[in-house]
Amino acid sequence: MIWFIALALLAGVLVGLSRQINGRLAMSTSAMESSFWNHIVGLGFITVTALLWGGLFAGEPLASPWWAYLGGPIGVIFIAAGSWLIPRIGAAQTALLIIAGQMISGVLLDIIMGAPGSPVARAVGVALILAGMYVAQPTKHKT
Amino acid sequence: MHAGMSDTAHVPRLFHFAAAFGAGGLLTLMILFNGTLAVHGSLFFASWVPHLTGTIAALILLMLLRPKRASTTRPPVWTYLGGVSGGVTVMLTSATVNTALALSGTIALGLAGQILFSLFADIRGLFGLPKRMPEGRDYLSLTLIISGSLILIFFGSTA
Repeated sequence: MIWFIALALLAGVLVGLSRQINGRLAMSTSAMESSFWNHIVGLGFITVTALLWGGLFAGEPLASPWWAYLGGPIGVIFIAAGSWLIPRIGAAQTALLIIAGQMISGVLLDIIMGAPGSPVARAVGVALILAGMYVAQPTKHKT
Repeated sequence: MHAGMSDTAHVPRLFHFAAAFGAGGLLTLMILFNGTLAVHGSLFFASWVPHLTGTIAALILLMLLRPKRASTTRPPVWTYLGGVSGGVTVMLTSATVNTALALSGTIALGLAGQILFSLFADIRGLFGLPKRMPEGRDYLSLTLIISGSLILIFFGSTA
């Protein structure tokens, strides 16, 4: 169990690591170029791993609806946004605000799709996140 | 740049704020779309497809927008390897999601790892990014956003 906990933590660390490295690349190139390299290098890595491991096309890969293929282009904007933000507002602010956006949009999506869940917990969770964003929000500069 | 730069460098401006929050919304859509691919195909396929279509989309956007390079000198080779880290992440999460940790534990621990790393990265200015010392308000905002997220992850849905 302790190993799985360590692996799950490591997965989060790697998300931050990847954003930090992509942000550094964007500082020398551009956010969009950084996103391009992130995708093509990741594609090469996954292709090699999947070929060694096997099972890339297992199951019924073509059974997915067409819109499921939109994750790639959306990811390009997502990675470019992270690479653009991280040198400007820092790694922690970038991570926290992305998490806030992910959590609140996740609740909205759950409500739209009629996913079961406690309305009270949702309201409290969203309220705490909004309060956290309020605390972090831009302040009027004192001169 | 204005005089208050050193005071405000770590405080996101409204546009940065909106961009990061919007990016979080995009992440929710990505998880929905890529997760749908994983329902029918393998976990490799669900990561391979978005990387392939993303590479093509990024190439088209680069050709259309032709963004200016910030520097004429080439950055070090390791700066191109961010995508490897992303690829490993997919494999780790798929390894832990089916254990006793389940999806909620995997997400919660992932958030913890991400936040701890990003605080450390800011304090040390890791990989040549600007150094930033988090202040009291940063920790308050962090505590509120993470507690809200944990409530949503563990109690907001019955998944």
